[in-house]
Amino acid sequence: MSGNMKQYAFFLGCIAPNRYPGCEAAAIKTSEKLGIELLPLKGASCCPAPGAFGAIDLKVWYALAARNIVLAEEMNMDITLICNGCYKSIYEVNEILKHNDELRDGVNEVLAEVDMEFKGSIDVWHLIELYYDEKICGVEKVRASVTRPLTGTKIAPHYGCHLLKPKKERHFGDTENPMWFEELIDALGAESVQYRNKMQCCGAGGGVRGFDLTHSLDITNEKLINVQEVGADAITEFCPFCQLQYDRGQVEIKEKFGQEYNLPVLHYNELLGLAQGMTPQELALDLHAVDCNSFLEKIV
Amino acid sequence: MANVKDYGNAELEEKLSDTSYYTTDSNPQFLEDVKKISRTAANMCFQCGTCTGSCPSAPRSSYRIRLFMRRGVLGLEKEALNDPDLWLCTTCYSCTDRCPRGLAPTDVIMAMRNLAFKVDIVPRNFLKTVQLIYKTGHGVPNNDVNRAARVKLGLPADPPTTHSYPEFIPGIQKIMDFYGMKDKADRILAEESK
Repeated sequence: MSGNMKQYAFFLGCIAPNRYPGCEAAAIKTSEKLGIELLPLKGASCCPAPGAFGAIDLKVWYALAARNIVLAEEMNMDITLICNGCYKSIYEVNEILKHNDELRDGVNEVLAEVDMEFKGSIDVWHLIELYYDEKICGVEKVRASVTRPLTGTKIAPHYGCHLLKPKKERHFGDTENPMWFEELIDALGAESVQYRNKMQCCGAGGGVRGFDLTHSLDITNEKLINVQEVGADAITEFCPFCQLQYDRGQVEIKEKFGQEYNLPVLHYNELLGLAQGMTPQELALDLHAVDCNSFLEKIV
Repeated sequence: MANVKDYGNAELEEKLSDTSYYTTDSNPQFLEDVKKISRTAANMCFQCGTCTGSCPSAPRSSYRIRLFMRRGVLGLEKEALNDPDLWLCTTCYSCTDRCPRGLAPTDVIMAMRNLAFKVDIVPRNFLKTVQLIYKTGHGVPNNDVNRAARVKLGLPADPPTTHSYPEFIPGIQKIMDFYGMKDKADRILAEESK
């Protein structure tokens, strides 16, 4: 790699590598074209899931997230990741432990058992914010990397929850109607569309998908109704868990509620991959529960 | 001279100094525990209902986050922890972003869930995640279909996580054992299957 590449430890999480590996492959390849090199964070685990794990014991959540952070500290490298759930665990625990002595001491007491220590020496970034950040990449650089513009497609943005919220513990500003993701979508030649209640949750988080699937899908269904209403060809997001909820959720919604949408759901990195000329095979789009062909036919 | 304001009745004064006097179910320590774990000043809630109005779970269930906030303030521990609605929060943080008191109701719910787990009140899906992470390092582990797909993409069959480096798993288990989390999950699930 050239000396101009910015290097990050790539925290994978669970759902991207183990359910939608196209997201992982696309993140690595598309970032390379934008001057960002993603290096494996060897031995990382589940972030662990903030809803499913933090909900029952925050102390264990702090400690296991800290272990993942320390792996990157040992590489002397900032972490980047492609999932909002992972962002909540890894970013938030990193910030909390940097600023809360009592909690940090508690975590370090546990980490000492495995010969580790949280030092607070690195930062954590979502890959999407690196793309948007002019100092690292920026929208124009994304636009310049496009070789197959997604012209003629209408795409609904889903921001998800845990990257932007709670806003006072984040740095993304407005959480009622942000528009920066739309800029990144439009940069691919696509047309981003607005829909009712854009910022509503996908319904999967907080362990609700596992606890009460019908309730969880009912939230998803409301979002799908709103997205369909404006004639979107696809939904895009930057969270594999939201992706799973919208993608597999459509199959479950059809079974449970009898409603059918056939709305392709693509991670922004998959979308960027397509726009940079990657084939559907290189993105393993066949693993998606909802057939992506209706969308692909519009761009070839 | 300081103006002393009281009822002039020692017995009544004592009763009033105990804010939980009006219900035997109230546990003032509950509010303190919630505040400590959630790191938010839950006692400052003035019950405006902006949280419930922002909640995606509210329109489709009996879950009312404002009610849980009130239960916290009133120390109604059992009422809060025994209510299955506690687990319908998707942790979307809309209420937290909109709370006019600057509180984090979402984190209050998380704290109450932590306190529920302490007394073995927990939906079973949460415990299964614990067991999976203990065993594999992942809450959603790899499978054969996915391994084949990864290889086609030019990725290693297993990602460079604990899946490729299982030597890291004992460290994860040690951390979880420090808090007795896996034993507790096993015990609760075993009691159930009897």
